[in-house]
Amino acid sequence: MIHHLTAVWKFRHFLLALVKLDLRLRYRRSILGVGWSLLNPIAMTVVFAVVFSSLLGGGDIPRYVPHLLIGMAIWNFIRECVITGCKSLVMSETYIRQSPLPYGIYPLRTVLGQAIHSSIALGVALIVTFAYKPETSPLALLYAVPGLVLMFITAWAAATLFSFLNVYFQDTSHLLEVGAQIVFFLSPIMYYPQNLSDKGLQWMMDVNPVHLFLELTRGPITTGAPPSAQLLLIGAGFTALMLALAAGTTAWLQKRVIFHL
Amino acid sequence: MATIDLTDLHLTFTVLQQKRVSLKEYLVRGLFRRSSAVAVHALAGLSLSVRDGDRLGIIGHNGAGKSTLLKLIAGIYPPTQGELAVTGSICSLFDISLGFEHEASGWDNIRFRAYLQGESPSSLKGKIDAIAEFTERGDFLNLPVRHYSAGMMMRLAFAIATSIEPEILLVDEVLAVGDLAFQQKAQARMKELMSSARIMVLVAHDLSTIRAMCNRVIWMEHGVARMDGDPDEVVNAYVASVAHQDAPHVGARAA
Repeated sequence: MIHHLTAVWKFRHFLLALVKLDLRLRYRRSILGVGWSLLNPIAMTVVFAVVFSSLLGGGDIPRYVPHLLIGMAIWNFIRECVITGCKSLVMSETYIRQSPLPYGIYPLRTVLGQAIHSSIALGVALIVTFAYKPETSPLALLYAVPGLVLMFITAWAAATLFSFLNVYFQDTSHLLEVGAQIVFFLSPIMYYPQNLSDKGLQWMMDVNPVHLFLELTRGPITTGAPPSAQLLLIGAGFTALMLALAAGTTAWLQKRVIFHL
Repeated sequence: MATIDLTDLHLTFTVLQQKRVSLKEYLVRGLFRRSSAVAVHALAGLSLSVRDGDRLGIIGHNGAGKSTLLKLIAGIYPPTQGELAVTGSICSLFDISLGFEHEASGWDNIRFRAYLQGESPSSLKGKIDAIAEFTERGDFLNLPVRHYSAGMMMRLAFAIATSIEPEILLVDEVLAVGDLAFQQKAQARMKELMSSARIMVLVAHDLSTIRAMCNRVIWMEHGVARMDGDPDEVVNAYVASVAHQDAPHVGARAA
């Protein structure tokens, strides 16, 4: 795996140039450019704040809006990494047929671009958070950093896994989209974790990795307290598991996948 | 020093009858039944050693494993069995019109490709103008590649691919690039590359090219080297065998 990572590092210029291209194309497509990706969450906030704060948030707007906005930023990152990332090998077929690059580089292209895109949405969410709750300490951001790093690695590993699966089964991306819709409603993004645990459904969140990463990132920012050691340990363990799965799958299939592209 | 060493190399791959099945279908039916996969034995125990100064030509009928061998040396196909050791920087001239980012400009594509070949931003700086100049269409390079004609794309691809000074040069078929004037220019560049590279491996069906450019020829058949040696000797034997195979047909037609 170390060998694989050094190979990715060797082609970093290639990777970064393509990430830059992806972002440029993404923002050029809309008239407002980067502004659109700012406007989108803001418009969403207004709608959600008006409609759902009384319905799901108990009318407490300063608590609900940051919760929702940060949750949406985190969720969109995970969702896009998995759904777009799973197509990365199939889409990069022409590069794969030309040069022996490490396979991890193609999902990383998607995940890295998505991370930059999502940090804009997260930035907006943070500004709104500070506007509603000026007492939030900037230290809370620091507490979220380990969670963000773990989430990035897990997203890369998941994108790698699903991109291999998508080479063999073409409906993977479609199934992931359906799955994402289900997971979205099962995760405490639009509602609070208490809403589920009060109903005795805590176990549903315990087995949901999306909830894990929400707690590791959104948790510290909205509560101002560092994540518990136990939670961090679970996060690190899950990340390590995903990384091992991705590395194992790559090692297993890297000699065969080209014949199936 | 550049070397290519193949020891008892096998390459087998399985191709599915249908291109890809859906996961739903697989889970419902595939678990109980193995899918009908066909194994292709592209290379069957090939041993080969190429050293500095070798200009190796590979001939043989279609499907003999010539292009597969080239892709294997380039590191694109992994060997199923046996050992493959290649030292030296590689420039591969095949499928070069693939792998453009169609929405990006010509300049950007030069960068992507060059980085893919292992250049860094600083090493590319000195070359990028030479690449642009070689395409002879510098003014086009600001446009997105999707507006390019097929010939223009080939020109650009060729200019980038040949901009590095490789130790090992892999060529699949002599490239027909662009219009007549550009073809002459491309051929001159190819000759230059061939003389500067330490090792060249050339796959071609045009036997006169093989005779002119190579100092060693391999005749491949069904994934193994049937003959290896002096160009004239091997090419003559190959021609004789093809003529021999054809003879009964000619006889049948006459009768």
